[in-house]
Amino acid sequence: MESEFPPELARLPPGRHGLPREFVSHNQRERLIAGLAEAVAENGYAGTTIAHITRHAAVSRRTFYEHFNSKDECFIAAYDTVMVELRQRVDDAFGQQEEWPRAVQAGIGAMLEFFTAEPHLARLSMVEALVAGPVVVERYDAAIQSLVPYFQAGREGRSAAVLAGLSPTTEEALVGGMVSLISRRIFADRTDELESLLPDLVEFTLTPYLGSAEAAEIARES
Amino acid sequence: MTVADIVKRAAIARNTFYENFSSKEECFLAAQRFAMSTALDRVVKAAGDIDSWPLRVEAGLRAFLGYVAEEPALARTCMVEALTAGPASVEYYEESLQSFVSLFRLGRDVSPRGDDLPGTLEEAIIGGVFWIIYQRLVAGDIDDIEALLPGLVEFALTPYVGADAARNLAAGNGDAGDK
Repeated sequence: MESEFPPELARLPPGRHGLPREFVSHNQRERLIAGLAEAVAENGYAGTTIAHITRHAAVSRRTFYEHFNSKDECFIAAYDTVMVELRQRVDDAFGQQEEWPRAVQAGIGAMLEFFTAEPHLARLSMVEALVAGPVVVERYDAAIQSLVPYFQAGREGRSAAVLAGLSPTTEEALVGGMVSLISRRIFADRTDELESLLPDLVEFTLTPYLGSAEAAEIARES
Repeated sequence: MTVADIVKRAAIARNTFYENFSSKEECFLAAQRFAMSTALDRVVKAAGDIDSWPLRVEAGLRAFLGYVAEEPALARTCMVEALTAGPASVEYYEESLQSFVSLFRLGRDVSPRGDDLPGTLEEAIIGGVFWIIYQRLVAGDIDDIEALLPGLVEFALTPYVGADAARNLAAGNGDAGDK
């Protein structure tokens, strides 16, 4: 998968370009979002000012306020953009596999690949989001919970014995455990370790459905 | 929350606050440490002397849920607010997770797959348990938090002892784990 910035976060070169005003305006918003991601990577959310954002985006302060009322609002827009992109990649990877265990493996792989290729966006969405105010924290929590159905799909067609071994909170616990492993490494600036987590995460999440022996086999062959 | 809010609730003078803490953050970190170490103490007290590891896990999780039920404000401090209270708090949160991880690692000794389990398993299990409790605390939905026990026990034990034995243990049939 490509590792460049998602298109929403790509930057238009500053200067005269003769593009239609509406396009420029839309693009300014994207530049501000990209600018915020860079500024937050440099200064953390708390230390980021609107001046940092406009400098990285190479737009005026006035332009900032044409698009956003505050730093918080700009952060929310950036957070949502990152999550839409991430969700798209996970969905694509998950949907391309016919077998559910392979789909889980591909989906987790896509998430790790995205965070590895975009450490700034990883930090923005998994670390800084938690200190960016209650609106973002609520969205962060909802984004994690929204991963539950990918695992719930694994219940389909399982034997009564397997289903009896699952509780109503199994998927929530799997998602929480997976995100905890990922976010701890992003917090510690160890995004280079993320992709090596794939076998462990696959084995961990498949075990309740397939048993540990089969889960380990799928996770460890490559 | 401001220092003024704290001194009002504590019914002490602002000066007294600053004799004890240099900032709101420092005071929060002290509260977080107190809350988390109380939780850990309860777990160790309830579970530390039990010989069978699966039963120890059950007792430890039971004690932890009991703590959350009895002390929701403290639990919120160390499991919810801590995450948004800045780097020092997150770092302490990470360290405390690690203490629980060490307790869990002992399960490898009793597991037939002990040497073959993924290196990050305990971290993932604790992360999952904390996430479930976090969700309930955020939603203010803790009245029947202790009802989560069987599901959590099963989730935590399955990778070590297999689903059948884990289910039996979760259902309160302690013999199954030692087979």
